[in-house]
Amino acid sequence: MSDMNEYILKTPLSVDDILPLQKGDKVSLSGEIICARDATHRRMMVDIDSGKTLPFSLTNTTIYYAGPSPTPPGKIIGSIGPTTSGRMDQFMEYFLKQGVRATIGKGERSPETKKLIEKYSSVYFITCGGAAAYLSNFVVRSDVLDYEDLGAQALVRLWVIDLPLLVAYDCHGGDLFESGKICHRRIILL
Amino acid sequence: MKEISIEEIIPEIENALVDMNLCSPELLRCQMLDALMVEKSEAAREMLSEILENYIVAEEHKLPLCQDTGMIMAEVEIGIEVRIIGGTIQEALDEAIRRAYQKNYFRKSILADPFTGKNTGDNTPAVVFIRQFKGDGLNIHLLVKGGGCDNISALGMLTPGCSPDQIKNFILRELDKNASRACPPLVVGVGIGGNAAYALYLASLALARPLGTSHPDSRYRQWEEQWREDINRLGIGPQGVGGLVTCLEVRIESHPCHIASLPVGMVCSCHVFRQKKLVW
Repeated sequence: MSDMNEYILKTPLSVDDILPLQKGDKVSLSGEIICARDATHRRMMVDIDSGKTLPFSLTNTTIYYAGPSPTPPGKIIGSIGPTTSGRMDQFMEYFLKQGVRATIGKGERSPETKKLIEKYSSVYFITCGGAAAYLSNFVVRSDVLDYEDLGAQALVRLWVIDLPLLVAYDCHGGDLFESGKICHRRIILL
Repeated sequence: MKEISIEEIIPEIENALVDMNLCSPELLRCQMLDALMVEKSEAAREMLSEILENYIVAEEHKLPLCQDTGMIMAEVEIGIEVRIIGGTIQEALDEAIRRAYQKNYFRKSILADPFTGKNTGDNTPAVVFIRQFKGDGLNIHLLVKGGGCDNISALGMLTPGCSPDQIKNFILRELDKNASRACPPLVVGVGIGGNAAYALYLASLALARPLGTSHPDSRYRQWEEQWREDINRLGIGPQGVGGLVTCLEVRIESHPCHIASLPVGMVCSCHVFRQKKLVW
């Protein structure tokens, strides 16, 4: 693990930004990212399919799977950590086809999603689940773009500075969960 | 007959809920520091450092430890000599949740119906289990439980011939598949016996124990310790990035069961273990 590289990247991410990334690398990400979780994805799909234009471009966008806690007065945002990414696997190909470049969440995803990430030259980052108050420190601005009625699942644009991420699935088939587990395994599972 | 008014217990439950969402217990911080001492991989250490830093930021800025401020589960033990006045225990819990979650900008994550998508708007209702005992006390064990860790709950209807090792292997296989999605290091609750529904209830009950309390029976205590060590040999690690600490504690609860059955329930808590016991 000592061979992990560190990258400083800015959104929108290009394919060239993503190609050198390897599983386990550390990334500090700055710029605009889009916050969306289950209901947000479903709503965006309905809107796109019915010909509506979304209030942002999906091309080379980074989606953060997160539903923040409400913003207290005088704060930029409430606590905001990642939610389980696997639940968004069902939307993955649709949004990759629309141009989404990277996703941020927590936990392993389906084997199909891993293949899609390779096929579309995408990357899956993770950030620390349950460190949500800490992670709110990296958000410098947040705007609700649409779907306010969804509450915590509203479509939100965040501006982040140096959001700390790890590369979980790179675009070459590398998988941090798999390699990390193999490296630390001390038992034969019956 | 001892009378307890819900007006008396509501503010205490409210305060407990606020505290649980903002402050981690001292022992949890110690366990996480111990984990940091054990882990060698940079990825695992990074995750643990962020978890430790989160305790400080949450307390200082009065922000919830996790954006998922959970669904409230309450295990209620009520003495037969106690009369609750002013409303039901469910009403008392729901009122306390309403107040705590609205005043403190906690996330409201409960849908009124699983299919309509309409939020109840105040994080109610709580999931409540009530048991009676002989006496004049009222104990409420509160758990704030996020959705991510609840999603990896499992029920295994094993056969009565199974050995404790086979039960352990069921737990290990489930965690190997799913633990990375549930924010490890985890606290793992295991319920053995009863029936299908009761095994899962027992597993939840096991999570209602405070940190650092092992089973009073030495046989179960030994399994709790051995199973924890074996879960940690899986190599899943903090947040699933690979590492030596996947599980902080295993808790087992058991119950008599049918001669034809061996139900085993597993319910886990993420590393943001939010538990409190209130006594009247």
